[in-house]
Amino acid sequence: MNPTLKFVLAVLIALEISFTSSWTVNVILAVIGLVIILAARPGWKRLLSLIFWPLIPAVALAVAILMQSRSTGNTQFAIVLFTRIYAYVFIGSAATLTTPIYELVMSLEQNAHVPTKFAYGFLGGFNLMPKIVTEVKTIRVAALMRGETLHFWSPQLYFKAIIAALRWSENLAEAMTSHGFVEDAPRTHRVTVRIRSRDWIIAIGSLILLQGLLFGLHLA
Amino acid sequence: MAFVKLSDLTIQYQSYDSKVAWPPTIDHLSATFESGTLTLLTGPSGSGKSTLLKTIAGLYPKFGEASVSGSVTIETSSTQPRVAMMFQDPNQQFAMDTVERELRFALENLQVEADKIDDQVQAALDYVGISNLRHRQLNNLSGGEKQKVALAIIVAMDSEVILLDEPFASIDPAARQTLLIKLRQLNQEAHKTVIIADHDLLNYEPYVDGLVRLSDDGHQLRFFDRDAAHDVFEAFKNSAQLDISVTLPQPNEPTAVTLNQTSLIAGDRTLLKPTSFTFPEHRVILLTGINGSGKSTLLRAITNLSNYIGDITVAGVSTSRFHKNQRYQQVGLVFQEADDQFLNVTVAEELALSLKHSRHPEYFQARLDDDLNNLGLADLREHVVYSLSGGQKKKLQILIMLIMATPILLLDEPFTGLDLQSLNTVVALVKDVQQAFKLTLIMISHQLQGLAPLIDYHAVLANQTLTYVEAIR
Repeated sequence: MNPTLKFVLAVLIALEISFTSSWTVNVILAVIGLVIILAARPGWKRLLSLIFWPLIPAVALAVAILMQSRSTGNTQFAIVLFTRIYAYVFIGSAATLTTPIYELVMSLEQNAHVPTKFAYGFLGGFNLMPKIVTEVKTIRVAALMRGETLHFWSPQLYFKAIIAALRWSENLAEAMTSHGFVEDAPRTHRVTVRIRSRDWIIAIGSLILLQGLLFGLHLA
Repeated sequence: MAFVKLSDLTIQYQSYDSKVAWPPTIDHLSATFESGTLTLLTGPSGSGKSTLLKTIAGLYPKFGEASVSGSVTIETSSTQPRVAMMFQDPNQQFAMDTVERELRFALENLQVEADKIDDQVQAALDYVGISNLRHRQLNNLSGGEKQKVALAIIVAMDSEVILLDEPFASIDPAARQTLLIKLRQLNQEAHKTVIIADHDLLNYEPYVDGLVRLSDDGHQLRFFDRDAAHDVFEAFKNSAQLDISVTLPQPNEPTAVTLNQTSLIAGDRTLLKPTSFTFPEHRVILLTGINGSGKSTLLRAITNLSNYIGDITVAGVSTSRFHKNQRYQQVGLVFQEADDQFLNVTVAEELALSLKHSRHPEYFQARLDDDLNNLGLADLREHVVYSLSGGQKKKLQILIMLIMATPILLLDEPFTGLDLQSLNTVVALVKDVQQAFKLTLIMISHQLQGLAPLIDYHAVLANQTLTYVEAIR
C-alpha cells in the first residue's frame, strides 16, 4: 500500500477511536494490527516489547479510572481505555513496521509534496540513528579516560551529544549541497511512487468498514 | 573546461565571544587556477586550505559561521558550472544509506531523466572500478571505499571543477594511488579542473601540473613553476625517512596487552582470525596495515569500544574482569577524530581537566607553557576547542591525553592534518613523555615520515593476522 496513504489511514483510525468508546472495536483493530505485524515477521524481542511496554500506560490508565469511579462502578470505561492503548500501538506499529523509511520519504516527497528539505533531512537524520548510540558510548569512555564518570543526568553528556548533533547536521547539509541538492528546486525521480486505485479502495474501504462496525455496535 | 578565479577574497570566522575578533583565515587573496589543470594546494595546518576550498565550492558563507568578501568566479562554457567537493572525513559526505541511493539522489538533484539514471550510476561506478559496491550500505564501507564512492558521485555529476580536501588523510596507499590515477585521468581526458589540498606531498609529483602554497597568514598563494615544485617535492621526500628497520620483540619481554585467541568481526567480514599476540610493555609499537584491515577496530576492542571474541588482557587483567572505571585508568585511546576526545568548551578547561586527574601533574604543570608554545597553542587558551583548525585540534588532543600519563596509550592516526614542523614537535613531545614514564604506546599511522625516532617495534595487520616485522616502509 502507498506509504503516505497508509499513515494517513492509521492517523484517521486513531483519531476516530479517540472519540468513540467501543472496546470491541478497539480489540478488533488491535487484532488486525497484530496480524499485520506478525505478517511482517518481526523478531521476538521487538514483538515482546510491543506487547509489554504499552502494558504500563494501559494498566495505569485502567486502574486510575477504576479507583476514581469505584462509586459509579464504571469498569466499562476502564476496559475501553485499556484496549484503546493497544489499538493505538498495534495500528501504529503495523504502519511503521511494514514501511521502509526510504519508501516513506519518497512517498512523502512525491505524493504528499512535503518540502524536499524536510523529507531528505529527515531521512539523513534517520540514517544517523546508529551513530547516536555509538556517540553516547564514546563520550562516556572519553570521560572515563580523563578520570571523570558521566551519568545519564550529567550535563556534559548532553552538551557533547548536542555538539555532535550540530556537527552532523551541518555536515549533512554540506554533503547534500555538494551532491547537487537545492532546496525547493525541481528534481527527477528514478522511482516514481504512485497512489494506485487499489490503495484508495483499501483506505476508503477500511474507513467505511470502521464506521459500519461502530454504528452497528452502537445499535446493538 | 573551467577556471577558478579568486579576487580579493577575505574569509573571516565569527568568534563565539563577541569581544574577540579573530583574524581573517583568508586575507585579501587573489589568484587564478587555470582551466584543465590539476593543482596541489599545500600549506601549514591551520592556514585555511579547507576554508578556501569550501568557499570555492560555494558551501561558505552558506554554511559555517564565516563571513566572506571579495569574489570567487568560475568561468566555464556551460551556464551552470558544477563544483564538486570531496571531504576530508569520508564519513561526512553522504545523506542516503546505500551507494546506489546516494548516486541516484545526486543525479535526481541534477534533474537527469529517470530512465537514464541507472545507466549513469553504472557508468560512474565502472569508471572508478567499484561496481561491486553498488548495493552496499555506506555505513559498512571502509574509509577508502567511501572516498571511491565519493569520487564516483563526482564522476556521475560530471562536475567541471573538482575540489578535494585532504582526501587521502585516512586511507591506505593503494587506495590513494587508485584515486590519484583516476583523478589524473579525469583531468587529462575530460579536462576537469582539479584542486587537491594536502600537506603530505609524497608521491604527488607525477600526477600534478602545479604546486601552490598558501602562506601561514592566508594572505598569499605562491605558485611554483615545474623546477621549483620539483625542489619542494624532493625536499619533502628527503625529510621523510621512510626506509628504516627496527628489531623484533624478545620472546621474554613483559607484556602490556595480550590477545588470547581474540578475533574481530565487522558485519560479515572477519578482520582478525583467532589470534594470540602480545604488545610488550614500555615500548612504542607502530601498527600498520592496509585500509579497512581492522587496525582501528583492534584499538577499539582493547578499550572495549568494539565487540570482540576471545579475551584481551590489559596490564595483567582480562578485560572482562576489569571494573569499567579501573580499565580506563590503565589504558587510554587517542581517538581518530579529535572532537571525540574533548569534554569541555575551551582549551584551558581541557588542560585543567587533564591536570586534575593526571598521574604526574607536577611534571606537566612545569612544562605546560613550553609545550603550548612549541605546539603553537599558547595564544589559543581561551578559544573554544571546536573552533580550532584540524591540526590544532590534533595537537591539543595528543597533549591532553599525554598529560593523563595513562600507562598504556593507544593512538589512532594521531598525526593526521599536521604539517612537517608540527609533526616533529609532536613526535618529540610524545617521546619525552613516553620515556619519562615508560609508557606503552600502540600507534596506528599511515603517515610514517618523521616517526623513526619514536618507533621500537612494528606490527602489521594483514590477511586477518598480526605479525611483527623489521622493516618500516
